[in-house]
Amino acid sequence: MNKEQARQTIFEVLGEIAPEVDPATVDDSSDLTEQLDLDSMDYLNWMLGINEATGVEIPQRDVSRFLTIDGAVEYLVTHSG
Amino acid sequence: MIDFVLPSLGADMDVAKLNCWLVKPGDTVHKGQIIAEVETDKAVLEVECWDEGVVEELVLAPGPTRLPVGTLLARIRPLEGAQPRPSPRVPTVEEAVTAQPTRPAPRHGVPSPPVRHLAHQLGVDTARVAGSGPAGEITREDVRRAAEPVIGREQRVKASPLARRLARETGVDLGIVPASGLAGLVTAKDVRAMEQVTPAPPDLPVETTEPEGRSETMRRAIARSMAHSKREIPHYYLANHIDLDRALRWLTAQNEERPISGRILPAALLLKATALALRGTPDLNGHWVDDGFRPSDAVHLGVAISLREGGLVAPAIHDADRLSLEEMMASLRDLVNRARSWRLRSSEMSDPTITVTNLGERGVETAFPVIIPPQVAIVGFGRVVDMPVAIDGQPAVHPVVHATLAGDHRVTDGHRGGLFLDALDRLLQEPEAL
Repeated sequence: MNKEQARQTIFEVLGEIAPEVDPATVDDSSDLTEQLDLDSMDYLNWMLGINEATGVEIPQRDVSRFLTIDGAVEYLVTHSG
Repeated sequence: MIDFVLPSLGADMDVAKLNCWLVKPGDTVHKGQIIAEVETDKAVLEVECWDEGVVEELVLAPGPTRLPVGTLLARIRPLEGAQPRPSPRVPTVEEAVTAQPTRPAPRHGVPSPPVRHLAHQLGVDTARVAGSGPAGEITREDVRRAAEPVIGREQRVKASPLARRLARETGVDLGIVPASGLAGLVTAKDVRAMEQVTPAPPDLPVETTEPEGRSETMRRAIARSMAHSKREIPHYYLANHIDLDRALRWLTAQNEERPISGRILPAALLLKATALALRGTPDLNGHWVDDGFRPSDAVHLGVAISLREGGLVAPAIHDADRLSLEEMMASLRDLVNRARSWRLRSSEMSDPTITVTNLGERGVETAFPVIIPPQVAIVGFGRVVDMPVAIDGQPAVHPVVHATLAGDHRVTDGHRGGLFLDALDRLLQEPEAL
């Protein structure tokens, strides 16, 4: 999976949780939960959706890597094989 | 014969529109089966049936009329040998009888030819449609609404922006697209798959937004309920800092062992501890009805859930004190996802016995919540913050949550509330026992 594919998947899943979000307005490097007003259930659902879409397991110790879009993209590119 | 009436729909929710039937005459229904969908100011609700039997007659057709709680909706013939049980909700029958005929309102004349034509196209029997026009005439809108089982689902469907745009561009009817997304959301992938299977029916509307004005009506409903609460209920407030060091360490260790689908959020831990703490103070769990307190044997824990469109709902997790932590987490996830896709059930809205609000999710350190009538208490949790605490006389920095209780002074005093917060603290110090 390359960066562009990872980003597309991430936003497709995000669109299911926060349908009003326009990817063009999201700052890829700042905290996603604050930017998009996501609560812990939204955040968990987002990671679960990414896991289901890509098959990449996200252990508890790596959850903080998903605080930003940049972090999530990097994680998926590294771990998707 | 059993009368199936519009059940109670929660505090200050005394009217609803019948959106659609999910059964037809002759169908066998069982206890707990969802048989209709209604819409209140706050949510679309799935209505359960509490009897077993065969649907004898659907008395009212779906329509825009606002029906009072207690309105006769259907008649159910009990199965042989089965004892009809009284509805678990309290219907306001007198109100229903005076305010709402159980048959469509009398109308003058017959529908106009264009309306009859539309009814014929959509397969709607105008004899069963209540008219909302001047002098009770049936309008085109009434006919469209009566065809709700076909059209209504399409209007309420939840879909990602990309899916909506694709559906508009390709003419695919979002309402018939099988959803594969979380919480029943239709994704772009689903629309593309559908596009290849069937062409869109040309005569169905493609408007897919939430019903207009829902935010405004929800705001009014919240205003009514909260004004009632502040007018009638003499609140007292208590607060405690609760050290979550042990609880969160334990939870993190547990989650390390689990796949992401089995992970437990701290919110589930707080809800479980709240439900168990109520066993020692049952006078915080129940309803204020007819100038008196009615305690509840069961703990139906209301959970305040904020919606992205604005506003909030507080449906119940039933028998919360009997659930394992895993079951609590599964119930919470299910409830939040359904609340956010407007798919709650009538019983969840009508019977919370106490509510928990977790404003800490949004960064607030302390919540001072308002009791939701007819409940008599509400528990608030703030943000978990790192704070200095004294451990055996030595300072340490631990994660701490500010837990608050608002109680109804007509039922309990601060002393009882204090016992509850103490019990909550004790339970959270032994997370492995939860």
